[in-house]
Amino acid sequence: MSKTFDRIAAITFLAVGALFMVESLRISKSAYGSAVGPNVFPFLLGLILVLLSIKLLFETARYAHSESEKQPLQYKKFFIILLAAVFYAALLETVGYVITTFVFLVIGFQAMEKGGLWKSVLFAACFSLGVYGLYVKLLQGTLPSWPIWLQ
Amino acid sequence: MDALTFLIDGFQTALQPHNLFFAFLGVLIGTAVGVLPGIGPMSGVALLIPVTASMTSGLDPAQAATSSIILLAGVYYGAMYGGSTTSILLNTPGESSSVVTTLDGYQMAKQGRAGAALAIAAIGSFVAGLVSLIALVLLAEPLSNVALKFGPAEYFSLMLLGLAAVSGLAGNSMTKAWMMTVFGLLLSTIGLDNVSGVARFTYNISFLYGGLEFLTVAVGLFALGEVFKAILHKEKNDGEIAKIGRILPSKAEAKESVGPIARGSLLGFFVGVLPGAGATLASFFSYIMEKKLSKTPEKFGKGTIAGVAAPESANNAASGGAMIPLLTLGIPGSGTTAILMGALIMYNVQPGPLLFDEHPDVAWGLIASMFIGNVMLLILNMPLVKIFAKIIETPTKYLLPLIVAISVFGVYAVQVTIFDVFLLIGFGLLGYLLAQHDFPLAPLVLGLVLGPMIENNMRRALTASNGDFMVFFEKPISLVLLIIAFLWIVVPFIMKLKGKSIIVNEDM
Repeated sequence: MSKTFDRIAAITFLAVGALFMVESLRISKSAYGSAVGPNVFPFLLGLILVLLSIKLLFETARYAHSESEKQPLQYKKFFIILLAAVFYAALLETVGYVITTFVFLVIGFQAMEKGGLWKSVLFAACFSLGVYGLYVKLLQGTLPSWPIWLQ
Repeated sequence: MDALTFLIDGFQTALQPHNLFFAFLGVLIGTAVGVLPGIGPMSGVALLIPVTASMTSGLDPAQAATSSIILLAGVYYGAMYGGSTTSILLNTPGESSSVVTTLDGYQMAKQGRAGAALAIAAIGSFVAGLVSLIALVLLAEPLSNVALKFGPAEYFSLMLLGLAAVSGLAGNSMTKAWMMTVFGLLLSTIGLDNVSGVARFTYNISFLYGGLEFLTVAVGLFALGEVFKAILHKEKNDGEIAKIGRILPSKAEAKESVGPIARGSLLGFFVGVLPGAGATLASFFSYIMEKKLSKTPEKFGKGTIAGVAAPESANNAASGGAMIPLLTLGIPGSGTTAILMGALIMYNVQPGPLLFDEHPDVAWGLIASMFIGNVMLLILNMPLVKIFAKIIETPTKYLLPLIVAISVFGVYAVQVTIFDVFLLIGFGLLGYLLAQHDFPLAPLVLGLVLGPMIENNMRRALTASNGDFMVFFEKPISLVLLIIAFLWIVVPFIMKLKGKSIIVNEDM
C-alpha cells in the first residue's frame, strides 16, 4: 500500500464527492408525480463518498512504513504506446481506420520489442485490413474509410 | 415439468447453426483467455462485448442478445477450464481462480503426470458444469417466482445487499471497496434522469446526455487497464513448460477423484450462488475441505490428484452458480457477471425475474447453450490440450498492442464517437492506477450497472410512501434483506477487531 497514493486518492475522491453534492443542489428539486426529485440520490452518494474519503485519510495515518521493493517500471514503452494510442484516437476520423490502425500497431509492436520490422508490418497490415474488410465489407458496419485526399 | 419443456425450447434455440458457432467461438476464446496469464475473464468478456455487438448487428434484437450472451458466457466458463492449464504446466495460474491448482498440479507435472492432471481438471470442470446447470434449471423458475412478488422497496434492499456482499469481500480494504462502489453509483447518475428527464452533470456536453456508456468504462477499466499494467511491469515467463505425456488418468487416479469432484461441484455451486464470493473463494474452500476430509492430508501439496480435481470442479461450478442470481434476480454477484449484465442491458434485455417470462428464448437458450458449451470444452481440453498449451508462448510483443487495437475498434464500432475512444483511454489509465493501489474495480462496475435500478426503485418506493424513508424498514422482506446487508458489513469488521484474519476475494 502506498501512503502517498492513497492520500492523493482520498483527497481526489473527497473533491469528487463534494463536487457531486454541490452540483446536485443545482438540479431541479421536484419532479412531477414523485416525492423524491432527481437531486436526492446523487446528493446522498456524494455525501457518502466524502465520508468514506475522510475515513481513508484517517486510515492512511496508521499505515506502517514498509517500503516494498520496487521493480523498475517500463515508463518509456508505456508512454510511447499511450501517446500512440492518443494520436490514434485523435486521427481516427480524419485519416481513416486502416492507416491509423496500421501505424499504431507498427509503433506498438516496435515499442514493445525492437526488431523484426517486416514481421510487424505484415501483422499490422493483416489486422487493419482484415478488420476493415470483415467489418465494413462483410458485415456492412461503419468505420472511417480512407482520407479524402486518397480517394 | 414446465422447466423441461422450456429447456427443450432452449435447446432448439441453442442448436441453431449460428448459435452453435457463437458458443464454440465463446468457449474457444474463453479457453485462450484462461490459458493466457494476465488476461482474466473480466477483461476477456469486456473486450468481446463490442466485438460481438458488431458481429450480431445483422440479427434482430432478441436474437442478437441471445447469440451475444451465449458467446460471452462461453468466454466466462471457458476461462475456468483454461485457467488450469498454465497452473499445471507452468506453475503460473492463468486466473486467480486457479491459484490453488498450482499447489498440486505443478507437482504432478514435475512427476510426469501433467496429462492426468489436465484430464482430471477438464473432467472435473465438465461434471461441475453439468451439476450447476441442472441446479440452475431446477431453481430458476421457483426463484424468479419469489422475486416477482418483490416491490420497489424489497428490490432496493436486495440490491443494497448485493452491493454490500461484493464490497465486503473485494480487496484488502473495505473502505476502498466501498469508495469504488459509491463512485460507480455516482458515475451512473451522469446523463438524463430516467424518471424526470432532467439532465444531470452533463454541462451541455452532448455526448454525456446518454450517460457514460457502460461498455466504454468496462473495456477501459479491465482490458486497457491490464494492458497498461502488463507493459509497465514486465512479467517474465521463463519457466519451463512441463511435458504433457499421457492424457488419460489411470484407473486409480480416476477413482480417487470421484469424491473430490462431487464435493467440489456442490460446494462450488453454493459458494457461486452467494453474491460476492465467486470462483476464487470456491476453489480455496474446496481445497481446504478436501485436505481436512482426506485420510492422507500430508499428500496435499506434493502432487495428489484430489488437490487438482476439487478446486477445478469448484471454480467451474461457482461460475455456473453465479448465473443464478444474475438471471433470476437481476443481481450480479461478481465483476464478471456484472459485465454480462451490462451486456444484456445493452440489448434491452433486463435480467431479473421477468426475464424468464419476457425473453424465455434468451434465458433458456443461454442455459441450453451452456450444456453444449461444456461438451465442447471437454473435447477442446482433453485431446487438444497440447495445442492450447502452445498459446502460452504467444509473444506479448504482439498481444498487447493488438488488445489496444481491438478495444479501440470495439468501442468505436458501437459508439461511433471519438469522445468514447478518449474516454476509453482515460478509464484505462484510471483502472491501472486504482487496481495497482488496491482499489478493487469489480465494485465500481457493479455500482455503475446497478446504479440506475437502485435509484429508480428507491424513488418509486419513496414516491409510494410520500417520501418517508421508513418504508424500507416497514416491509418485512425488505427489513430482513437490510439486516443481512448490515451484518455482511459489520461481522467482518468485528472479526477484524478481534484480530481474526478474514479471507478476501482478490479478483473476481
